[in-house]
Amino acid sequence: MSGETPTAGGEAPPEEGGGTNIEGEAPAVEPTIETDEATITDDAELERTLGLSGGLAIGIGTMIGAGIFVFPGLAAGRAGPAAAASFAIGAVIALLVALPASELATAMPKSGGGYYFISRGLGALAGAIVGLSLWFGLVFATAFYLVGFGFYAVDTLAELGLAVGEGLVVPVALAFGAGFTVLNVTGTENAAKLQNGVVALLLSILVVFLLYGGLDALGLVGEPSTPETFAPYGTTPIFTTAALVFTSYLGFAQVATVAGEMRDPGRNLPLAMVGSVLVVGVLYVVTIFVATSAFPSARLATLGETAMVEVGREYLGAAGALAIVFGGLLATMSSANASVLSTSRAIYAVSKDALLPRWASRINLRYGTPHVALGLAGGPVLVLVATGQVEVLAEVASFLHLVLYGLICVALVALRRDEPDWYDPDFRVPGYPVVPVLGALASFALVGFMQPASQVIGAVVMLASAGWYLYYARDVSLKGAL
Amino acid sequence: MTRTRTRVLVPVAILEGESVSLGLMNLLGTVDVTVLGYHVVPEQTPPDQARLQYEDRATEALEDLAEEFREAGGDADHRLVFTPDRRRTIDRVADATGSRAYAITGATGAVERLLVPLTGDVAVDRILSFLVDLVGVRPIGVTLFLATDEAADDAADDLLEAAAARLAERGIDARTTHVTGAPPFEALIDAVADHDAIVMGERAPSLRSLVFGEEAERVAAESVGPVIVVRRVPDEAGADAELDAAVEDDARSTEERGESGSDDEERDDAPSG
Repeated sequence: MSGETPTAGGEAPPEEGGGTNIEGEAPAVEPTIETDEATITDDAELERTLGLSGGLAIGIGTMIGAGIFVFPGLAAGRAGPAAAASFAIGAVIALLVALPASELATAMPKSGGGYYFISRGLGALAGAIVGLSLWFGLVFATAFYLVGFGFYAVDTLAELGLAVGEGLVVPVALAFGAGFTVLNVTGTENAAKLQNGVVALLLSILVVFLLYGGLDALGLVGEPSTPETFAPYGTTPIFTTAALVFTSYLGFAQVATVAGEMRDPGRNLPLAMVGSVLVVGVLYVVTIFVATSAFPSARLATLGETAMVEVGREYLGAAGALAIVFGGLLATMSSANASVLSTSRAIYAVSKDALLPRWASRINLRYGTPHVALGLAGGPVLVLVATGQVEVLAEVASFLHLVLYGLICVALVALRRDEPDWYDPDFRVPGYPVVPVLGALASFALVGFMQPASQVIGAVVMLASAGWYLYYARDVSLKGAL
Repeated sequence: MTRTRTRVLVPVAILEGESVSLGLMNLLGTVDVTVLGYHVVPEQTPPDQARLQYEDRATEALEDLAEEFREAGGDADHRLVFTPDRRRTIDRVADATGSRAYAITGATGAVERLLVPLTGDVAVDRILSFLVDLVGVRPIGVTLFLATDEAADDAADDLLEAAAARLAERGIDARTTHVTGAPPFEALIDAVADHDAIVMGERAPSLRSLVFGEEAERVAAESVGPVIVVRRVPDEAGADAELDAAVEDDARSTEERGESGSDDEERDDAPSG
């Protein structure tokens, strides 16, 4: 069942995975042959079915919900029109990480993404910290998307003339999150195709809206607006805001978590990761420009999570408001959906390597879905949603992902410095070693600009992950275990 | 003769207990068979997790199935694939194994007569040469079926006659049925009675197949019996692995082109869209 497990004796070379956790389970490492169409193991094959558009839909679909539909009001309130610069900084950092992540993903096109690279490049302790943190990072991110969804659901009702007040945001988010988890356990047929359609629809709505809003803001159509000072609150808020809104870029690495299912991974993985960062980065910057041209930033701040609805109304009247409300519902839903897909891969990858009990990723016979893993994602998500703390949820998600991103860059440098035989990526980072070193520094630096509460929660999650590893699986070694 | 034997892919939803009827096994006794055990995983499930859990059980069932096929006559091997997309898997494995046809399993007893629709844009040459290999010297009859719009359609009658003549040449008892004016699909289903299995050509994907599902799948669902689908010529875009098989098939088509004198040669090599 567990196939052949390389032994990790005293003489065993370091490039072997082995050891067992306290339940006696060893990492299930089997030799595989990767082709563009399938992964071939000794007795079976795994079909690769995601194409470039599927990869882009996961990347863009995960990211776009937060950046456009939740953050503009919050970000403009903190940094003024310079929030556009915050988003641009986020995009640059995301690119600095997306490039190294692409190289690692083409070298190791396996389920689990960042966790897989780090556990193979840096070893089991770093892998365990990152793998478990990635799980919690996705949980925090999903909770954040769901709260965003709650705001949009309440606003949708308001647009339809049914004002229920913000008190219903959390209950709506909870109900949706619970229903969503149940749907995922019982099987959502064709959700992937739906995801592609949702993302395409969203992009069309946004491009039309931003094009019109952009022209208006530049004074080419409609009333010319009075420009506000670019950075009314100084330059420091630009960076703290960048730390906050970085949550809007937690999506490109999710593409890597499904790397094992992507066709022609050598080509599609880098294109999907880098492409989705570029697409959403441009959209975010334009969105902030359009939003801050419509209203002064102080006004945007008071409008809060759904400020974009008022921006839509300002430019295009009731139709604009409806389009944004509808887009916001779609976007936060697609973000949550894509995150759930990644979470089940993350838990699977960790439990396959014996860092979590194997039953954590078991599939039930009735629906063919990993109900335990989905429950391990859905349960904590609901607890976090109940707090309703948008900013803290977003920052903790960012914290945990940023540590992952920083370590991805470190893992790349470590692998490149002493390239093992198996390391043969189809895509190599341009500008090595500058890009991964900058990526690592920027990722870790951004953590420093977060609220203390978020930093403490993030650090606690990581320490707990390390503690779990030392308690549960300290004998497991994974470095170079392909 | 050094040419490789005809191979048919038999996809089976192995973990759902799908079985292959003895009638179909015996019908495929003259050709080699690759049993494709597949398991469709929903997208929220990592395919490798399904493999870890079910591989042993599935492999055991597949080995048994392949053994039964060998006992029925031909050579048989098996492959196991975990996939979110059944259709893609069938195409890929059929290409990789050089299979000229794939079977949709269904219930049937001993096969005495095959129904072979030639309606629409199908590669008649490939279907006929496959039939010759499949039937061999066995006393299995073939009914060639064609549905057209107009009653007096000489081209259609010519096509049927030429095809029947080609089969008769190889000692196969071939009859023809030409239905006019009725919707082709319904007419075909009506003709299924008195036949034990269907051999049909694969059609290029169309708007119709997108909306209603693939024709072969619909025929299989309506007719209950097994359906053997003769595949289209692999696209040029196909992988290297299938190149040999494609070259093989082209050679065969050229070889047989001399015998059939109708316009369906062009269809045979028409790039499939």
